[in-house]
Amino acid sequence: MTVTITVGVLALQGGFHEHLTLLRRAVSQLATTKFELVEVRTSQQLAQCDALIIPGGESTTMSLVAGQTDLLEKLRDFVKVQKKPTWGTCAGLIMLSNAANSTKVGGQELIGGLSVRVHRNHFGRQIESFEANLDLPFLSETTDRSPFHAVFIRAPVVEEVLAPQAVQVLAKLPGRVDRMKTGVSQATTKGDSGDIVAVREGNVLGMSFHPELTADARIHVWWLSELLKGGAS
Amino acid sequence: MTNDISTGAASAPATTTTDAKPTSTFALKAGLAQMLKGGVIMDVINPEQARIAEDAGACAVMALERVPADIRAQGGVARMSDPNIIKDIQAAVTIPVMAKARIGHDVECQILEALGVDYIDESEVLTPADDESHVEKSVFSVPFVCGCRDLGEALRRIAEGAAMIRTKGEAGTGDVVEAVRHIKTVNRQIAQAKAALAEGGVVRVRELARKLEVDAELLRQTAELGRLPVVNFAAGGVATPADAAFMMQLGCDGVFVGSGIFKSGDPAKRAKAIVQAVTHYKDAKVLAECSTGLGEAMVGINCDGLRGEEKLARRGW
Repeated sequence: MTVTITVGVLALQGGFHEHLTLLRRAVSQLATTKFELVEVRTSQQLAQCDALIIPGGESTTMSLVAGQTDLLEKLRDFVKVQKKPTWGTCAGLIMLSNAANSTKVGGQELIGGLSVRVHRNHFGRQIESFEANLDLPFLSETTDRSPFHAVFIRAPVVEEVLAPQAVQVLAKLPGRVDRMKTGVSQATTKGDSGDIVAVREGNVLGMSFHPELTADARIHVWWLSELLKGGAS
Repeated sequence: MTNDISTGAASAPATTTTDAKPTSTFALKAGLAQMLKGGVIMDVINPEQARIAEDAGACAVMALERVPADIRAQGGVARMSDPNIIKDIQAAVTIPVMAKARIGHDVECQILEALGVDYIDESEVLTPADDESHVEKSVFSVPFVCGCRDLGEALRRIAEGAAMIRTKGEAGTGDVVEAVRHIKTVNRQIAQAKAALAEGGVVRVRELARKLEVDAELLRQTAELGRLPVVNFAAGGVATPADAAFMMQLGCDGVFVGSGIFKSGDPAKRAKAIVQAVTHYKDAKVLAECSTGLGEAMVGINCDGLRGEEKLARRGW
């Protein structure tokens, strides 16, 4: 019996087309007919999904648009009550964090799910955006283990893991903050261990960079494979 | 719909000059624009307006001294804003802050880069500073957005290093007709380029490139992608949620709103409504809801009533 796994990409704002493009590529690489891919703008569309990607974009925009309807509450239910697999990149990481620093005046609504606190715009403004090759140990199961070319745009980092026993750190970016010009970085914490740029808590996954801005579908292939293993829940 | 930019913007257009070395790659510059897609960028003139914009869900703000409607009304030379206004707005919000420089004015761009703005708009809304050359944008680390009326203008700006394009429209009028004309023209010419490539390969693309006065390789890339190789927003005359959704349905990736918000009766409400309309641009029920009870729209100027020299879109080439 074939069971279809419906994978949604939150399409309120940001890089959702880019994620869908890579998901399509990943699906064809996996040579499976099990996945259906949909854009999610409403709670009805979310209700069809077995798993969700929250793309890069502006987290304030996404939470405000989601908050105009019952979608924000439904997203919280999806991640924290139904515990369906969810993956956030950049703004998506912020949305999936239980706490965020350097938010707009008056704070900002989050979905939560990751017991971490993120620091928004950690490296500074756009001129401090950068690219770096990252070693992603979880890709070791795939055939190509070369470093992942990661694109960081006004990126957040995980500044504190709030529940160390529950949260698995998947990747760190070594030494970046220390190399920054003084006065530019808004970093409040420095450590020789590097900045945390990818975390996982159960089936909730967050990354501070943008796999969707590359042509490299390895993380998408890996994530879809995890969904296949877990039978989508 | 042409919204799927795929990975086309991840590599620099073939013609970007490489003499000077900006610290930021083209992928990073174009990448920020990709993250703004599906969003609304709002003109603001002070921190209070910037906060209203952020609270309404703007994905970025454009820091200005005067909105286009006032620039149009007051006349005189319109220049880059006082750095104090930009700094105050940067301090007030967490979303990206853009600012405008005059066409061709290298030093205004250098100053804006030093201020750390996230994007520079080399804009026809300000008085042009050079009537021969636009700014050579590829040498800057800060990314640029530029206006266009047709595919030729768009690709010439991209060749100079622009990482994002917008329609020129007719700023400060509240009349969307020019922006519609510009996006339709771009779409039509991209379709022509696609047809040329399909029928006669690179030879026909070169012929069309000569006609459009653009780089042939960049035109070939555009024909292959079936869209501009960078993000393309609507701008100039958008005043209502319906205008914004219309521009999205015509294939724009997002929307700039200038005077349309803070020259209207209830800016906060209208700003929220336009943000909703851009996300749900295909959903007429949502559009009906968010178009309801917004108070007075900005007082418009009919573009047909403008004399040629009053049209800002004619600035630049």
